[in-house]
Amino acid sequence: MARSEPMTTQTADAPAPRAPTVAGFTLRVLAWLPIAFAVWYFAAPVLLSPVVLLLRGVAWLGFADLVRGIEQSAAIATFVTALRPGDIAPRGVLTVDINLLLYAFGMPLFAALTFAAHEADWKRHLALGYVVLLPCAAWGGLADFLKNVAITAGPAVAAQTGFSAWQREAIAFAFQFGSLILPAVAPAVLWVALHGRFVAALRHRERK
Amino acid sequence: MTAMPRFLLVFVGLLALAFGLELTPWAQAFLVTPWTDGVARVSGALMRMFDASITTTGNVIATTRSAFAVAIEAGCNGVEATLVLAAAMLAFPATWRHRLAGIVVGAAAVQLLNVVRVVSLFYLGQWNQQVFEWAHLYVWQALIMLDVLIVWVIWVRIAGRHESLPDDAQPA
Repeated sequence: MARSEPMTTQTADAPAPRAPTVAGFTLRVLAWLPIAFAVWYFAAPVLLSPVVLLLRGVAWLGFADLVRGIEQSAAIATFVTALRPGDIAPRGVLTVDINLLLYAFGMPLFAALTFAAHEADWKRHLALGYVVLLPCAAWGGLADFLKNVAITAGPAVAAQTGFSAWQREAIAFAFQFGSLILPAVAPAVLWVALHGRFVAALRHRERK
Repeated sequence: MTAMPRFLLVFVGLLALAFGLELTPWAQAFLVTPWTDGVARVSGALMRMFDASITTTGNVIATTRSAFAVAIEAGCNGVEATLVLAAAMLAFPATWRHRLAGIVVGAAAVQLLNVVRVVSLFYLGQWNQQVFEWAHLYVWQALIMLDVLIVWVIWVRIAGRHESLPDDAQPA
């Protein structure tokens, strides 16, 4: 097929591509998942470095009074705060370690779904998915940090943050949404949005 | 507005609403906590069929053979996955009969896999803590969402087979 021809063009003798089945697609996803998880885990320090950059940007813009810096070690983002830990270490500063993998497991899921669908644009889809899932992981990481300092760390630390009651409620909601919904739902929704033709093909096969 | 953006907009709106309602103290007390305890009871009863050492108390599953126990918490009770599936079915153009049937059968499919998750994690945890952490935090989360996606795709095919959906109803 010439590069300039539309992807749907077929020669008269070429067999029509087989419509996908749900069972076949599911098996392909299950086959790709372990590979995608392995690559994701070992490449996490690189894959998640843009998440740390995003976190630094948001912290600088919105929480400069709380966060002095964010360091990355493998998949862990360490928030160095301006907060005092309390009576235990009055001269120290509070640091909070956040495991970014907790909020980025949608990346291997999205990759497995994309490889299993195996559409012509899979490379573009993969790149787009990665870029879109980065802020989702950053959301989870930031909400986890804020939940730690505003709620979990106790009243001595929470009082230093200056968050009001409704702000703590908003942080709790953002954390729940960022940990329970966003990491799993975002890759699935994004995959459906990018693979509308593939989903339609699954429907079409059943309706024959 | 074309079908896909409309579907996504309604889906996200419904999901945000359902998730917000789920987090209210009333829903937690009268729906989520009893449901979570029920998941523990069902999982425990299933395990007792081949392992007499299993005990359940509230949302905690334990074994009399060791000090190991697991507590089923938010995110492991299948509630959020069910809400995602219900929102996706309600957002897709279909008859209310198909939506209701889809939500009931789909929720059962999600909960069934969730019980498999709980049982598998209980035994993985006794075998190897690192494997348990991996399976708990990453792998099963992805598998449950894959289950939701597959159930939704199957439902979309069946709902489409039984009625004449408008062309733009397909999320293409």
